[in-house]
Amino acid sequence: MTAPVLSLSDVQLSLMGNAGRVDILHDISLKVTRGETVGMVGPSGSGKSSLLMLMGGLERATGGSIQALGHDLTAMDEDALARFRRGHMGVVFQSFHLIPTMTALENVATPLELAGASDAFDRAEAELESVGLGGRIHHYPSQMSGGEQQRVALARAAAPRPDILLADEPTGNLDGSNGQAIMDMLFGLRDRHGSTLVLVTHAPDLAERCDRVITLKDGRVASDNRVVAEAAQ
Amino acid sequence: MIAWHIARRELRGGLNGFYVFLACLALGVAAIAAVGSVRVSIQEGLAREGAVILGGDASIAFTYRFAEADERAWMEAQSEAVSEIVDFRSMAVVERDGAVERGLTQVKGVDAAYPLVGDVQLVPQIPLSTALAGKNGLPGIVAQRVLIDRLALQIGDVLKLGTQEFVLMASLEREPDSAGGGFGLGPRSLVLTKDLANSSLLEPGTLFDSAYRMALPNGADLDMIRAEAEAQFAESGLRWRDSRNGAPGLSEFVDRIGAFLVLVGLAGLAVGGVGVSAAVRSYLDAKTGVIATLKTLGAEGRTIFTAYLIQIGILSAIGIALGLILGALLPILFAPIIEARLPIPAAFGLHTAPLIEAALYGALTALVFTLWPLARTEQVRAAALFRDASGPVRAIPRLPYIAAILIAFGVLLGLAVWFSGVWQLTLGAAGGILTSLGLLSLSAWLVRRIARRLSRAKAVRGHTALRLALGAVGGPGGEATSVVLSLGLGLAVLASVGQIDSNLRSAIERDLPDVAPSYFFVDIQNAQLPAFLERVKGDPQVSRVDSAPMLRGIITRINGKPAREVAGEHWVLQGDRGVTYSQRPTENTTITAGEWWPEDYVGPPQISFAAEEAMEMGLDLGDELTINILGRDITGEITSFREVDFSTAEIGFILTMNPSALAGAPHTHIATVYAEEDAEAEILRDVAADAPNITAIRVRDAIDRVTEALAGLAAATSYGAAATLITGFVVLIGAAAAGERSRVFEAAVLKTVGAARGRILASFAMRSAILGAAAGGVAIIAGGLAGYSVMVFVMDTTYTFEPFSAIAIVIGGALATLLAGLAFAWRPLAARPGQILRGQE
Ligand SMILES: Nc1ncnc2c1ncn2[C@@H]1O[C@H](COP(=O)(O)OP(=O)(O)O)[C@@H](O)[C@H]1O
Ligand SMILES: [Mg+2]
Repeated sequence: MTAPVLSLSDVQLSLMGNAGRVDILHDISLKVTRGETVGMVGPSGSGKSSLLMLMGGLERATGGSIQALGHDLTAMDEDALARFRRGHMGVVFQSFHLIPTMTALENVATPLELAGASDAFDRAEAELESVGLGGRIHHYPSQMSGGEQQRVALARAAAPRPDILLADEPTGNLDGSNGQAIMDMLFGLRDRHGSTLVLVTHAPDLAERCDRVITLKDGRVASDNRVVAEAAQ
Repeated sequence: MIAWHIARRELRGGLNGFYVFLACLALGVAAIAAVGSVRVSIQEGLAREGAVILGGDASIAFTYRFAEADERAWMEAQSEAVSEIVDFRSMAVVERDGAVERGLTQVKGVDAAYPLVGDVQLVPQIPLSTALAGKNGLPGIVAQRVLIDRLALQIGDVLKLGTQEFVLMASLEREPDSAGGGFGLGPRSLVLTKDLANSSLLEPGTLFDSAYRMALPNGADLDMIRAEAEAQFAESGLRWRDSRNGAPGLSEFVDRIGAFLVLVGLAGLAVGGVGVSAAVRSYLDAKTGVIATLKTLGAEGRTIFTAYLIQIGILSAIGIALGLILGALLPILFAPIIEARLPIPAAFGLHTAPLIEAALYGALTALVFTLWPLARTEQVRAAALFRDASGPVRAIPRLPYIAAILIAFGVLLGLAVWFSGVWQLTLGAAGGILTSLGLLSLSAWLVRRIARRLSRAKAVRGHTALRLALGAVGGPGGEATSVVLSLGLGLAVLASVGQIDSNLRSAIERDLPDVAPSYFFVDIQNAQLPAFLERVKGDPQVSRVDSAPMLRGIITRINGKPAREVAGEHWVLQGDRGVTYSQRPTENTTITAGEWWPEDYVGPPQISFAAEEAMEMGLDLGDELTINILGRDITGEITSFREVDFSTAEIGFILTMNPSALAGAPHTHIATVYAEEDAEAEILRDVAADAPNITAIRVRDAIDRVTEALAGLAAATSYGAAATLITGFVVLIGAAAAGERSRVFEAAVLKTVGAARGRILASFAMRSAILGAAAGGVAIIAGGLAGYSVMVFVMDTTYTFEPFSAIAIVIGGALATLLAGLAFAWRPLAARPGQILRGQE
């Protein structure tokens, strides 16, 4: 068995809400191995997004420890986390989160540039082409449809060839066919680059395309099932 | 009605998010209201104290002579009492332990009736009559403390005016009629005119003014008396003033300054307008969803427009009210400080007229600047709900709205012209503001363009922070335009003031060091001239001496018609002018047209007139001027024009005549002496010893006085400009605050893709600096244009760009934007991206 790329042990998350402390995640322990595709499902409010944010170092655990690629995320400060994400993690959000003052190309080039790539723009252009947006690289997000924006977001997350791809309901804001296309691309990326993929989703059929499905309920892991690969190749 | 309900419900949320809107409007209105209130307070004070300031109900003044017996008789017939004043410059001289101290003083000779109105205050507190009576057989003198200090005098010391000794009895603390006089070059001293009889100071031809203050019977008809006086004595050079306008110079000055400051205030309001407009725009952008929903529910565009117009109207009313309260309170609060600097008690209090004026300006500005974004609510489609509503509508409003904006602007401009009473200045200022706004819009557009271009340039690649900054400036939906407009306009006003101020100063300075004479000597009697010239010309440390006979005359007629009917209110016709005569043109004279009279010419009087002034007055060669000199009319023909430069402090006369024309008139001589500084004191001592009546005016001192007056003016203007700039900062902070949400978001995304905080901060800083520099750059151009216009067209001199104040302003602009930007960078940098970016299920 390969070494885990993500390893969570006894992770807790409590946030201060308006009505006082809210315990969101309780004692989560799990390991994700290299190349694995993990689907995360569960009812709304069960803590899926929160867990994904913790994995990406975008949120701070209030207890337990999180190791990513052998680094302890819980011991890093904001800047260290940001630097760690370069080339290691790509995140795709439900509401795309492109920077509105940047064109598609600039959005995609930014993480490459931050990682110090000298050919950031060429690679960004290639990446946009691979998601079928080669003709729209100079468009601003506001000039694109939701599906197109999500493709840009996908290209942005994938361009630096991250070890880990995190996706939080990437099709949640899209219609069926657009959602389908995004999912195909996401899995295609995983296949091409061999990234580890953690995917939060509502759709059962998507979960079925994963190697493993973790179900969250009330901030706890309710079940963690390896999908028996259909037809066992 | 529906609109009203919608408006009310929307406003239930309170004023949150409208603080910038309110502050912008309130500041602009407050500045204008405050300036207006101070102006009215001073004017009312002047009106109320008119008789005191004037020294009587009416005053008749002559230049250079006393009233003739018939004139005096006429005045006495009209009045219950008449008081005679004589006013002139002289040197106060103190001999102490063999050393001699001299000080220039503006002497006022009075009679026993003085003052007819008001009180003179002395320290020690003795009656004026006691003080002027003197002691130990010497007549008394009282003088302003400045003079006493300068000459290191004690009460009881003896000093000399001309050849007469006086004993200093008290210091002059308050002179009731001081505000009515002109611009005195020296501190005031007061004596009895009769005591000057042996001073040799009021010889014929000496420069002095006399004034006759009249206490008129109750209910006297000032207009009628004035008409009678002018009918009888106008041609003899009489100047009438009455208590309705006791200090016309001061009153006009206050009006001018007031009007000017209101214009500066209007610029501030325009800056506020930009902020108001930006606030309304971002408010309405945030309401796109609400508006679209209302449309889905069947609301018409008109209803929605009205609903938001009502909201903005209510908010404007609140802002204006705040501004009025502030603007009315400030002058009352600062009354003691302002009053201490005024020669008269002002009537501080609540004055409604300036408040109404300010409120009107505020309302119209709000209308002009909010109609555009308001009108666009009409164009929000219900479909906005189904698209990502991030891209707000950017359409041009329908024609009626544009017409309404133009009309509101027209009314605003009309009001400004009407209220200020100086239409050229107002239109000039309005043009300046519009030009600046235009330039700023253009530069905002250009900066965005260039930034967008640059953000894609190959050279920028790899410099993520810079590219981010450029992208943010150039990208859609940025705050670039409103920051550049508001800050730029604020800085432009400041830059204009800076350019004008430093240009005026250097205009004075520039001509000084090598060109200007050290001394002006006036009142040199004919008999004293040879000795005087011998003394100064024989001095090896004197490089140049110019002298000229000096008379004063009033141009009363041009070609037989009253001069003012022909040439209007030209300054040459206001009061008396210096007149000289000369056999030959002086060395530096350039004749521009006509010919100088032949030497020893004895025909009918001929005149050589200053070329530029002649052109302005529409005078031609061959025109006949009648000049009243010492009550006698002399009519001569203009036979030549010559260039006269008044800026170099050389002797310059508008009017020169042939010697025989003026030979009979008693007169004195004026001289300028160019000497090395260490020789100045000795020259002064020798000249004064020989001829104590001669007054020496040190040019450096005179220029200091003018510079001082100018500094006060610049200070007043700076306060006005500061109000504008503060408004600019409020707008800036508003823009930065409004941009905070998107910064929080950007920072979160950037962190997600791997940017450390330092890089994000650098990017925010660069963005601010770019905008600040753009605003500052335009401000410099606008300031330069304003400076040029004022110096060349108003001041009639040359303009040089003053880089110092300009650079300070650009740096200030960039720093201010930077600070405002950084102040609002804290939250974006501190927030954890997970909190910001989590799904919005
Ligand atoms: N900032 C916050 N403060 C308090 N509670 C929060 C905050 N963010 C999320 N929550 C709560 O945490 C729980 C988990 O949310 P989330 O991780 O978004 O769930 P999911 O993605 O599974 O729908 C929810 O009950 C949500 O209301
Ligand atoms: Mg979620």
